[in-house]
Amino acid sequence: MDGLTAVPVIGDKRLKKLRKKLILEDVLNLNSDFGLHPKLEIFHKLWQKNQAAFVHATNIPYTGRSHFDGQNLMETGAHIPYKEKTGWLGRGLLASNIIGKGLAISLPMPLLLRGVPQNNNFFPSPDFVETKLIDQIYNEFKGEHNELIKSTLDTIRQRPLSMQIATDSDDRKKLALEAAKQLKDQSGPRVAVFDLDGFDTHAAQGGVDGAHADELEEVNKIVTILHENLGQAFDNTLILTLTEFGRTIKQNGGYGTEHGYGSAILIAGGLLKKSQVYTDWPGLKKKELFEGRDLNSTIDSRAVYNSAMSICFNQDPEFLRKEVFWGDELPDLSQELFKI
Amino acid sequence: MSLNFYRRVAFGLSPNEKPDKDPLNWAINQLDTIPDLLWPGTIPAEKDLRKKYGEWVYGDREVLRKKFKNDKHAYRKAKDELRIKTGERYFELNEHAIRHFQTKYSKQPVFERFWLFWGNHFAISEKDFLAEFSTGPYQREIIRPNMVKTFEEMVQSVTTSWCMIHHLDNSESFGPNSKKGMEWGETINENHARELLELHTVSPNAGYTQEDVIQLAYIMTGWAHKWDRKNLETGDIWFDQEMHQKGDKIVLGVKYKNDAKRELAKVIHDLATHPICIKFVSTKLCRHFITDEPTDEMINPVIEAWNKSDGNLIEIHKAVITQAYKYNEITHKFHPPEIWLMQLSRMFDLNIPLSFEKMNYTFKSKPNNRQRQLSWILREIGHSPYRAKQPNGWSDLEVDWVSPELLLRRFWFASVELPMLVKSGNRSHDFILACLKNNFEDHENMASLIENFRFGTLDYDLGQKYGVICNLPGVLKI
Repeated sequence: MDGLTAVPVIGDKRLKKLRKKLILEDVLNLNSDFGLHPKLEIFHKLWQKNQAAFVHATNIPYTGRSHFDGQNLMETGAHIPYKEKTGWLGRGLLASNIIGKGLAISLPMPLLLRGVPQNNNFFPSPDFVETKLIDQIYNEFKGEHNELIKSTLDTIRQRPLSMQIATDSDDRKKLALEAAKQLKDQSGPRVAVFDLDGFDTHAAQGGVDGAHADELEEVNKIVTILHENLGQAFDNTLILTLTEFGRTIKQNGGYGTEHGYGSAILIAGGLLKKSQVYTDWPGLKKKELFEGRDLNSTIDSRAVYNSAMSICFNQDPEFLRKEVFWGDELPDLSQELFKI
Repeated sequence: MSLNFYRRVAFGLSPNEKPDKDPLNWAINQLDTIPDLLWPGTIPAEKDLRKKYGEWVYGDREVLRKKFKNDKHAYRKAKDELRIKTGERYFELNEHAIRHFQTKYSKQPVFERFWLFWGNHFAISEKDFLAEFSTGPYQREIIRPNMVKTFEEMVQSVTTSWCMIHHLDNSESFGPNSKKGMEWGETINENHARELLELHTVSPNAGYTQEDVIQLAYIMTGWAHKWDRKNLETGDIWFDQEMHQKGDKIVLGVKYKNDAKRELAKVIHDLATHPICIKFVSTKLCRHFITDEPTDEMINPVIEAWNKSDGNLIEIHKAVITQAYKYNEITHKFHPPEIWLMQLSRMFDLNIPLSFEKMNYTFKSKPNNRQRQLSWILREIGHSPYRAKQPNGWSDLEVDWVSPELLLRRFWFASVELPMLVKSGNRSHDFILACLKNNFEDHENMASLIENFRFGTLDYDLGQKYGVICNLPGVLKI
């Protein structure tokens, strides 16, 4: 995601010059330094209530600009692509002894959630599936070698009726609604993971109505639905975005942007301390940019995620840092960002 | 010997096949030659599809993006038209049909199982437009012909193939002291070197260091696509001396003298014949055909065959099958969705893939729903074969395939989608019973579970029957 499109810096002449065709009008006001993309309305609304915040000029410690390596690392939280086979959220759940409480809104189990057993995943299938078929064969699963399948069939059988739906799986509104319902349920999942794509706007990135704006609108839609439907549970919730990298400062020949480095994290939820743009702003002058072309990253985004997990899972951040991120140097940002 | 051996090493028996008197011999005799591809429709050459790939990326990147700078709607429309014209949405569907047709009708189904294995060992994961244009032909033209040669020859072909080089970014890897590296201030991209070590040959068990990765990347510099303005990154692979790192290199303690393009063959020889590589790949083969955690006892005879034959894949395959036969009655193996689908298709003679006449494409409109059907099913059951998420390919472990949603999708396919794929002459209860008898020891127990629906021949009834049968433990697993 392009952090500078989502949370643009205000009045930076250099940015205006380099992004002539990507300039945003009608930016929503955050503070004297930063604005908000007009499509991210819900964040602006929540900002007024101290329930939205942004971490800017941040990224995972990855500078290779490959989607695949980057996506792998944003999910594993590691340094070398493909080396780790589990995700930081999965390891965080496991370390916090929260077993079987992860819900992925996707067909395969995302890497991010792997590493803890019995997570659930959900993605509406094209047609309704009669789970009574499972009852008919359940007793056929005998012996130790069938245990894994049998216990997974148990998970399916314990699913609420609401999850046994058939719908257009491209309809993210329905998926978000379903996730909210599940998350609100006391016995339901503790975390849910959404997958969004389309931020790779090499062309026609545009401003307020461009291709990048369309994707931000999706984010806005999902967070709006979660906010509306979580009800009271929203006060006890954190919603965070995760991306593999930002985009170049300069627009390219197709009025799009190329793969970059630093980006922003959008956060919403009642567990935020206050509305703020939390940043150690590196500046956008040529020598301040990463390799002279990208917004630099001055905050390891994994520090934000580690702190968020410590708040949500009620764990010592030091403990999680060691268990989840191999003791990497990640400052505890809980005091700054979240309600303790 | 249990009938499940035919599913352990192949795709089960079709209604007109009968169990062989000597199943081990039956299986082993399928490995000496490469069976022809049976698909009667078009089987395009890799090179031709690469040309289409070039037309697509050139048209989008160099033409449309510039033409429609300010208009995302017009841009999207023009892009959709280009997709149709270049077959961007079609060729992968055709590749799935070629692949499925082969596993369904091949007279050497055991060979085909190894084909799927190697294609996944040297996986091309989802990147750029490889799945759309190149991964299928790579499986046919790079993996398949090497299956009767040595493992080393296979690694050589794969490593210098356009598809793998593009997949793992080797064209972007410059020796920092090479002519172009110095001029442009470029350096290595370690991706391909790392995967050649980690995934394709010796695995992390060899204890290589970051320095080994860098040194191997140096050796590999220069193996790149030939770039030009029209073909962009889709030009042929060649060795560009001006990108190649000068000087001697040391990988895993072996010194490789400065020898330009010949360095790569030497290091691949050493990696592909390394004892740890042999053990790693033998273990993977046993894992695929025997059980998730194969023991040394299972693996050692494969290693012996490897050593004795200097890595001849025919002999290695025969040893794997011999072991699979030996342990057939006492081990279990879970099958991932695609193999499960292929087995159902062969055992019950399902109406997939679509006939080659109907798969024909005119490049004038989007592929229709029927043409997309098989690929859609594969995606919905979670196993679109040429779209692995990572270069390590699809997992071969049960634990990665047993999630609530992935199991539900199998119930969905068997109870909702499969009935529509039953041929009109095969809707009777007796047909199902005959197929069960042909493939399962405990067919009587299976039949008793669907007895209630014996008189039903509507889609709904067939759905109830197949929904049960296809998801029994003895069908999901052997």
